[in-house]
Amino acid sequence: MHEVSIALGMIHELERIARENNAKKITNVKLKIGKMSGIVVDSLTFAFDAVKLENPVVSDAALSVEEVPLVYECNDCSKTFETDNLYFPSCPVCASYKLKIISGEEQHIENVEIEV
Amino acid sequence: MCDTCGCGHEHKVIDVNQSLLKANDEAAYANRKHFNEEGILAVNLISSPGSGKTTLLEKTIDALKHEIGIGVLEGDIETELDAERIRKKGVPAVQLTTGGACHLDSMLVHKGFHLLKLQLKGKRLDVLFIENVGNLVCPSFFDLGEHLRVVLISVPEGHDKPLKYPKAIKTSQALIISKSDLVPHFDFDMEKIKKDALSLNPRLKIIETSAKTGEGLNEWINFLIHRLHR
Ligand SMILES: Nc1nc2c(ncn2[C@@H]2O[C@H](COP(=O)(O)OP(=O)(O)OP(=O)(O)O)[C@@H](O)[C@H]2O)c(=O)[nH]1
Ligand SMILES: [Mg+2]
Ligand SMILES: [Zn+2]
Repeated sequence: MHEVSIALGMIHELERIARENNAKKITNVKLKIGKMSGIVVDSLTFAFDAVKLENPVVSDAALSVEEVPLVYECNDCSKTFETDNLYFPSCPVCASYKLKIISGEEQHIENVEIEV
Repeated sequence: MCDTCGCGHEHKVIDVNQSLLKANDEAAYANRKHFNEEGILAVNLISSPGSGKTTLLEKTIDALKHEIGIGVLEGDIETELDAERIRKKGVPAVQLTTGGACHLDSMLVHKGFHLLKLQLKGKRLDVLFIENVGNLVCPSFFDLGEHLRVVLISVPEGHDKPLKYPKAIKTSQALIISKSDLVPHFDFDMEKIKKDALSLNPRLKIIETSAKTGEGLNEWINFLIHRLHR
């Protein structure tokens, strides 16, 4: 459950963002989480909803999570494709295993909505 | 007044675009810089509970403590047991207890490093070993500022572990397959585990070790020494 630590770190950052922007409250937090980030979105949401209650600045904040699909580009034929195969993806066109990851490793805060 | 909820307050969207692990990553950066300035090689050992991290450290200390300065940070949820094992070997050790968290973070390592320096009393430190909390998932998310991440998988755990715990494999520079003396007692496919691990991380250095028979320990020590002098 590294998600608890991640949620705690997130609260810490949100407090800073609120302070720097003179926000009364944070009302929404938009995250991008890649399918291959290893972060379980349900666990993170659960943890966030538990730890946010301790601070009135974030206690009403909702999480909106955009799950980013796993997309590769084939080094051999340049085909870009989406896959659910986390471990051994191969190119659907030429079957090559030489792939470059385009998206799916994201684990960041995109933006926050504040009330001033 | 707010368009969306009519709450009478003004709402604004602030672009943030930062990693969820920013606080940890910044502290890790500071740790690494600090280690670099003092010429210390920091090694983060991660594995499931009981794969043999502390045992490997004990053997490493036996082999190297007269040649180089060693210090150890021991991460556990509770108890001083592992730090006591290390101190028995005549090497300074600080126990970091996370009080519940299943991994170390770089803030805790920073604190531990300063406590370790008090024990060192000015003695030279060449290698700092950080034994993470026994867990093959969560520690792999947290950069501690180490130069070398080493993951251990012991024979009784089974050869399927790299595929089940890919992040640990992908973020490490070396894989120790520990307790190799137990291979005759388990259906353990040594070729398969190596093949899977390398397909996840082609640059991974793989070493089979046994603390019991001593197999592979020289190779591990040489690997460390080589990294130290790089
Ligand atoms: N047969 C055999 N047993 C080993 C070997 N290395 C360690 N063990 C045994 O495995 C058990 C766990 O070893 P530790 O070194 O305490 O493992 P650890 O990874 O530090 O454990 P935690 O800190 O609790 O996660 C002990 O009983 C060791 O004696 C080995 O090479 N061969
Ligand atoms: Mg141990
Ligand atoms: Zn292709």
